Amino acid sequence: MSYYLQLLLNGVIAGAVYALFAVGLTLVYGVFRFINFAHAELISWGAYLALMFSSPPVSLPLYLAVIPAIVLTAVIGLSQDWFIYRPLRRGSPITLLIASIGLSYMLRNVLRLIWGSDLMTFSLPPARAFEFSGYYVTGIQLLMLASALLFLMILYLLLTKSLIGKSLRATADNLELAAIMGVSMPKVSAVVWTLASVFAAAGGILLALDTNLEPMMGGANLIKAFAAVLLGGAGNVWGALLGGLFIGIAENLSVAFFSPGYKDFVSFAVIFLLLLFRPRGIFGLLTGVR
Amino acid sequence: MKKSVGIMMCVFLLCTGPLSAAEVKVGSNTPLSGKLSVYGEGFQQAMLLALEEVNAGGGIKGRPMQIVFEDNNSTAAGAVSAIQKLITVDKLPLIFGPAASSNFLAVCPIAQQNKTVLIAAESAAAEISKCGSFVFRVFPSDALQGIGVAELTQSLKYDQVVLTYINNDWGVGLAEIFKKKFTAAGGKILDEFAHDEGKTDYRSEVLRIRKSNPKAVVNLTYIKEGATVLKQAYENGLKVQWLMGSASKSPKLVELAGEAAEGVIGTYPTFSQETPQYKAFKAAWDKKYPDKKIPVFGEYNYDMVKLTAKALGMAKSMDPDDLRQAMIDAGKGYMGVTGDKTFDENGDVGAVYGRWTVKQQEIQDFK
Repeated sequence: MSYYLQLLLNGVIAGAVYALFAVGLTLVYGVFRFINFAHAELISWGAYLALMFSSPPVSLPLYLAVIPAIVLTAVIGLSQDWFIYRPLRRGSPITLLIASIGLSYMLRNVLRLIWGSDLMTFSLPPARAFEFSGYYVTGIQLLMLASALLFLMILYLLLTKSLIGKSLRATADNLELAAIMGVSMPKVSAVVWTLASVFAAAGGILLALDTNLEPMMGGANLIKAFAAVLLGGAGNVWGALLGGLFIGIAENLSVAFFSPGYKDFVSFAVIFLLLLFRPRGIFGLLTGVR
Repeated sequence: MKKSVGIMMCVFLLCTGPLSAAEVKVGSNTPLSGKLSVYGEGFQQAMLLALEEVNAGGGIKGRPMQIVFEDNNSTAAGAVSAIQKLITVDKLPLIFGPAASSNFLAVCPIAQQNKTVLIAAESAAAEISKCGSFVFRVFPSDALQGIGVAELTQSLKYDQVVLTYINNDWGVGLAEIFKKKFTAAGGKILDEFAHDEGKTDYRSEVLRIRKSNPKAVVNLTYIKEGATVLKQAYENGLKVQWLMGSASKSPKLVELAGEAAEGVIGTYPTFSQETPQYKAFKAAWDKKYPDKKIPVFGEYNYDMVKLTAKALGMAKSMDPDDLRQAMIDAGKGYMGVTGDKTFDENGDVGAVYGRWTVKQQEIQDFK
């Protein structure tokens, strides 16, 4: 029994990070109606920038290095919109989708050019996990869980209590109508891209702390986030959050029943089944909470 | 079409008759340009050293031996045109194959179809064993790794292990071989599962290992995956003896896993540097190339030429089947610089495995 509970615990932690990615992805989809493939690269850039600021010549302590890293990632996110997506906004969603794939390749290869394809790490010494009556959790894992909670809490307050959050939701509901009603489009899009980038960077840094950095790290996690977005119903923020948790738990529990070599199969199977039977997502009922 | 070309080539080859009485020529498909040329030059020097010794010792039945070098540009396409030239234009019955397993695999069907003896000195892929009856190699197949790890496990007296391997052709194949050898000797596999390549979270895999409560875990994997598994196992307080192959033997593993890599034991193919054969080779090398270090795989290339010369001397004729038989006979019990070169039914040789371990954050020989 404790074996399954430990798997569940690992699943919740992995899922919390997937949720961070999925929320950003779904926010962009909700407002602009396209899946931003370059979201994967925001994840990797966040992690690599944190590495850059924490190693010579800057050598900031890690907890400080995180701040400029996240800020710079947000700048990348905002420039994505400003230079690529905004000029194309009047085109078809396919144009935006293809542009985002191209952008993803470009960002990934710039990253390769600067840091190389080899594995890198923050070189934190491996630490024994905390043991709570037979269950193991590492410090980094606790940090992952806490940061995910913190970020999602901020998002909740922002969306429900602030004016900008409300205009964001209005825009997601109907872009043209919101514009007619005087919602400032540039402001909304700036907020969406900043949120998406900050969440991606934070998740990327946490993942890198937990394991290591490599240029492809974002891509692998984008698939999970994508499954979570579909599960929650594209554009539905709280759906994406629950979707992320679901994917994390499902793939970790699957290890108990078949070979862990096929763990990734779970997220692909979810995508496949949902597209076939519930294209609007499991949480499609909750569309009101956008 | 392909078949008829092949038949034409065969006829062509069989009709060419005896080689010129002056020299005994063999071909070499070598990367002298392109990305492998840094190695190719070393291969060539080692082969030339062996050739010099063969000819100084009277050549092949009194006739000098000659190697016709053909550059393959380090690519599979280049290797294919090089072997075609060596077979059809130079009409050579025996060819030293190209470096890099993928290039070798590209030419081996051509050699087999044309009944040309093809020998490899630096290609490790297990797949090469299936190339056919005219293909030999003096370098140990990757498949032997599986056996090497099984022997390591048994010699350390672990008779119950958990087996995990990377989920690709290499890992699955290796695990199969390990399992066969290990269980045949009475070992028990408590649990086995594949793990994905290139992931960052192997905690559930670690948990699954813990469930069987093993003393030792055989982990046939690469560097990055190996390091992540070691690190996450360490974090979760899993205390086992890790047994690994040569693919994870790298300072990078230690850099990535830190303290968690301490005490890992693994195998890697090696040969003794204490044998008279090695000492003679080393002395000869230093004499011919005083300011050059022995290149990567130089010993294998040297053995390849020496063994081939022996086979050519034993061959009843230059007929392909006679040459092939002579290779097998010459290899029997032949002790080269790199050890015993007796060919098995696939034209493969055995290997001696060294052992590595991580001690004080460094890769060392395990004693």
